[in-house]
Amino acid sequence: MQLTIKANGKNVRVLSYLLAKNPDNLYERQHKGHFIRFFYSKFSDQELEAVIFVTPDPLELVKNSAAAYDITHYINDREFVVSSIFCSLVRSALGTALNGQPKEDYREWVDQPFSLEFQFGPVASTLSDQQLRDLFEPLGYETTIAAGEANYSFSVKAKSSARFLSIKGETTLQTGLRQLFVLIPVMDNYKHYFIDEKEIEKLERYGQGWLETHPQKQFILRHALRFKEIYNKLEYGSFLHPGASSEPKTDVAAGQKAEKKVRLNEQRYQKIIDIINQENAKETIVDLGSGEGKLAVQLGCVNGVKEILAVEPSEYASLQALERFQKREQKPGFLVPTPVFSSLFYYDERLANKDIMILCEVIEHIDEYRLPKIIEMIFKDYRPKMLIITTPNKEYNDVYDLRGHFRHDDHRFEWTRAEFRRWCEQNSGDYPYELTFDGIGEEHEAYGCPTQLCKFVRKEGE
Amino acid sequence: MRITLPHAGIVLLIGPSNSGKSHLVKHLISENILSASEAVSSDTYRVLVSDTEFINWRGKPQEEADSIYDTYQAISREAFAILDATVEARCRLNKLTFVDATHLRPDDRKRYLDIARINHVPIIAVVLDIPLETLLQRDDQRDSPRGKRRIKQQYQLFTKEKRLLKKEHFLATYFVKNTAELAFERRSNPIERDIQHGIDIIGDIHGCYDEMIQLLENLGYVKNDEQLYLHPAGRKFVSIGDCMSRGSRSLDTMLFFTRHINNGLAYMIDSNHGWKIARWLDGKNVVLNHGDEKVAEEFSEYERKHGAGAAAALKQDIKTVLLKAPSHYVFTRNGTAVLVCVHAGIKDKYIGKQSKRISDFCRYGDTDGFDEQGKPIRKDWFLHHQTKACIVWGHDPKPQPLLINNTVNIDQGVVFGGKLTAFRYPEKEFVAVDAAMDYSGDADSNPLKELESKRLDPPNIAKFINGYTVLTEAAGDIHIPQDAVKSAVDTMSHYTIPVENLIYLPPTMSPAPSPSSLEGYLEHPAEAIAYYRSHGVQRLIAEKKHMGSRAILFLFKDRAAGKKHVGFETEGVIYTRTGRRFFPASMEAAVLRKINQALHAGRYFEKYKTEFVLLDAEIMPWNLKASELIRHQYAHVSETAILDRQLLEQKLAEAVKSNGKVAEWRKEYRHKLDNAAAFQAIFQKYCWDVDDPDQIEIAPFHVLAHSEETFFDRSHLWHMERNRELAGYSPLFVETAFKVIDDAASEAAVIQWWEEITAEGHEGIVIKPEAFIAKEKNKLLQPAIKVRGRNYLRIIYGMDYLEPENLRRLKKRNTGKKQRLALKEFALGIEGIRRFVNRESIDRVHECVLGTLALESDPADPRL
Repeated sequence: MQLTIKANGKNVRVLSYLLAKNPDNLYERQHKGHFIRFFYSKFSDQELEAVIFVTPDPLELVKNSAAAYDITHYINDREFVVSSIFCSLVRSALGTALNGQPKEDYREWVDQPFSLEFQFGPVASTLSDQQLRDLFEPLGYETTIAAGEANYSFSVKAKSSARFLSIKGETTLQTGLRQLFVLIPVMDNYKHYFIDEKEIEKLERYGQGWLETHPQKQFILRHALRFKEIYNKLEYGSFLHPGASSEPKTDVAAGQKAEKKVRLNEQRYQKIIDIINQENAKETIVDLGSGEGKLAVQLGCVNGVKEILAVEPSEYASLQALERFQKREQKPGFLVPTPVFSSLFYYDERLANKDIMILCEVIEHIDEYRLPKIIEMIFKDYRPKMLIITTPNKEYNDVYDLRGHFRHDDHRFEWTRAEFRRWCEQNSGDYPYELTFDGIGEEHEAYGCPTQLCKFVRKEGE
Repeated sequence: MRITLPHAGIVLLIGPSNSGKSHLVKHLISENILSASEAVSSDTYRVLVSDTEFINWRGKPQEEADSIYDTYQAISREAFAILDATVEARCRLNKLTFVDATHLRPDDRKRYLDIARINHVPIIAVVLDIPLETLLQRDDQRDSPRGKRRIKQQYQLFTKEKRLLKKEHFLATYFVKNTAELAFERRSNPIERDIQHGIDIIGDIHGCYDEMIQLLENLGYVKNDEQLYLHPAGRKFVSIGDCMSRGSRSLDTMLFFTRHINNGLAYMIDSNHGWKIARWLDGKNVVLNHGDEKVAEEFSEYERKHGAGAAAALKQDIKTVLLKAPSHYVFTRNGTAVLVCVHAGIKDKYIGKQSKRISDFCRYGDTDGFDEQGKPIRKDWFLHHQTKACIVWGHDPKPQPLLINNTVNIDQGVVFGGKLTAFRYPEKEFVAVDAAMDYSGDADSNPLKELESKRLDPPNIAKFINGYTVLTEAAGDIHIPQDAVKSAVDTMSHYTIPVENLIYLPPTMSPAPSPSSLEGYLEHPAEAIAYYRSHGVQRLIAEKKHMGSRAILFLFKDRAAGKKHVGFETEGVIYTRTGRRFFPASMEAAVLRKINQALHAGRYFEKYKTEFVLLDAEIMPWNLKASELIRHQYAHVSETAILDRQLLEQKLAEAVKSNGKVAEWRKEYRHKLDNAAAFQAIFQKYCWDVDDPDQIEIAPFHVLAHSEETFFDRSHLWHMERNRELAGYSPLFVETAFKVIDDAASEAAVIQWWEEITAEGHEGIVIKPEAFIAKEKNKLLQPAIKVRGRNYLRIIYGMDYLEPENLRRLKKRNTGKKQRLALKEFALGIEGIRRFVNRESIDRVHECVLGTLALESDPADPRL
């Protein structure tokens, strides 16, 4: 991690006073085992080149992290690339320049623009070259981007993910450095320290005079503050001037798609609730694979239901579900679903002999060859009075123009209506259930509805 | 008069003071019939607790006498409390104890009858019936006479009680008038036998006579002229019980055992069916069912053929043998119990003892009521077995011999169409004969079929979700905590291959407990070798460690074999160490197809008579599985490092011309640049492009199991031979280089070899004890220790880890947790495979796999 400051022209020697670094001495400071070093590689009347770099202690960098149990934590780019780590380590070495507080005699030079070039890197960033340019060019810098080498004995990557930036322009040393201190963490893939409200204050200070008018202001703020909570605080702060939003417009098509998805979800839940409402035997309901509890929470409002088991093996999803249930808890007449940590791949006696079992958009997430065993367990061991299965209708994918793709990355299969019917009939054949098929969502005359449903009702007395 | 002393239990001497009880004990001790510790006397215990044997309160003033009497009573109470505790302890330990006290009152005797009953030991009474005159005479001559009045009182009580004694539940009651005429004989434990030339224990025969004869022949028994089966080495055979009922030739089988037992060639153990038939033969009113009725039919048939007389004689003979069959036998070697044979089960505290209660337990096992169908609910008595004696049992049919907690079930349900198993001791080998047919004629309640049909049922989650304990053969109890279970179930439900397919997860492997003592090395073979040496392992094997990704190959002979073993048609599966599919589906199918063809071409499945093979392997190249990791971590890091260091080195090189002070920094950065280049070079060693399956290399280093056997009893040399054999079948399989370490020279050779291959960039070596399962004082040792090369470790500890200041700190690492995990996971891995091969239910296999998955969710330093 390094930064070279180059200057050409008259009076460049003054810069050594603005930096408060004596060209006759080597500068080296230690902080927690990391060396912060500074030297002049050129120092003449017309030309100045100074390099500040950090030789980190690699073991210190990987200490005490929550990620300590992941191997990627130990082999990473933090000790090489410029990042917020670099900024915080060199901040005090460059303090005089950043704060514009040289010795009294040189104060007048603080606001003096020089012909400056900053070379810094390596940069690890998901941003494209153009996006990087868009950060610096509006500030008047001529930007050059060089990439590292990526020649491997096997094909692993086409080009190097290590880049080195060089920006050139007329600016004061203070402004140039402050811009780098804001933009280096914005480019970098992640920050090393906890981001709190002080960050906003720092942004305000370093951003004075250039960030307000930067066309990428929103983008810079969002990346600099990283976490939504902090970013949201900014909305109420003094810094953000109302209007003038440069946020890129959200993709209209994507928005419609999302909306459609929400609507289909709601229709699915409504359909299931309608079916349940028509039933007499609905005291106990099991939502198998209840995920974040979206369906279960709606079942809590159905009259006549006395127990809802929300069955889910994902701990993360279960926590989300719990939160969802708690929010509704106080609502009169709401039956709080009981989260059950369990899985379709195990037998669970708690699920036996219930009125209604639901597999809503679950089976397509399971490898097809594993399904018969699950269905057998439901019919043979759990023996619900009713089973409801919903799953996508593959035929309808043409309406979405999915070109052979599944609707979700995790889908293991999607069935046509005929395939679904055949599968349901085959797997329930040995058990006393009556089958009814139905569709959910807008019906297409050739392809049917986007979601298909089968209701299995246990025949009386069998 | 002859008195037979039991091998253990209580001999209660009964008689008034001066009747000669202590005298008799002294005599027996002096004759070496009894050892001094085998007798306890109330007088001795009074002295022990109070320094006083007797206090005479007679003739003292009333007030004084009362007080002395109180004191004496207190002393007696304390003395008897300790005496009784001693007697009880000795009974628990199955020792013989003479109790020398008057025992005139019924309550005094009842105490000892209770102790004997509770501890399942015999109790006999030796009553000294001496005339009053003699008693009085002797009292006069004592040091501290008890006094006439007291003797007379005691005598009166004695004569009154004498009549009652016969009704009390002593095993034997001897009335002795003259102690001088007594002869004593000591019996040894009737159910203890020396192992002599070896024992062959045969499981539940149930009238499968032909299979039994075949089995005896397979065991090496030869029929002599008298139609007796003798073993040339003098071995004897044992029926574990239930040799009759259900099958078609119960009578022949019982007759066979009767003749062999009467000739001292065989033993038989009591059992539920045996006991019922015995009681039926004894004329008791019993209901014959569960196949017992077939025995009665056979007897009727015999009577029709040979007449009533012959039938009666036969019944008498068989009845005698059946009634005499003990609840269990304890076989000893050099006087130590090493083997216990019992029909259905036993508690440790019952071993070597006999009682009605023990007989019941041994016949039926530990039962906990009955289920809806009226079958007994069996409790797992064997989980509580703790002593070192191996318990062999039958009664409960299992598809394969079940080794659990140092017990062996050898009932493989021959009568239900299974197998008749024999367990050879001390060899601990199984010999089995397949049933010619299912003789039971009861398709609905065939326990083997029932077990098989439920074998692959989804595991009951209730057994796991609150945390659970797996009892492993290799390392005892392994506890799996609740939190870890949940995350493992989550993983099983979303990412892994199906439960019934995932029968094994490989254990983690630790480096040596201490870092290298050499400068400039973090790991070195010397410490790994020292670890095993310090634990008494002399012969080791060093195998080259491949650098790819760990994989398990579960390969079936054909799709039908897949269906048979895991419940769905499959040619096999290749999965990672976390149970996920190794390859994308199409690549997996292609690789499996190729391997399957190669194994068939080599006639592998025929050669080993197996329907599957389970291999533990490393699959190369590394980038097959790790390309994302390499792209985003290793390659990326190497590029940033090189770019950073190169530029700085250039800048410093320029500056050094005008500014000599930066020379040190420049040197430092040149060195650092070399490190970065070495780092970038090393991971490329393990990577190459794979365009078709032929470019994949698979190095199988353990053949874990075939359909009928596991190979944990084979040495690693055997496993390496199999590795070479497999490499001969398919170019996909590659050989693993290895060397044996058994002396200083071979040790030096291995170290040199390690230096050479790691200098070239190979990952390193794995050092293992020669035996697959190595133990020291019954404690499991690390199954393998990895020793990674200096260069390789750059991709683990960072490119600059060898800098002295870094290495000094890295050497402080602690491998304790990693080693504990490695042992637990190793034991779980072996256990799961054994259970699967024994065709136990999948939930018994799954508890091991889920355990490993759960243990792995407990974080440890990933660099170890």
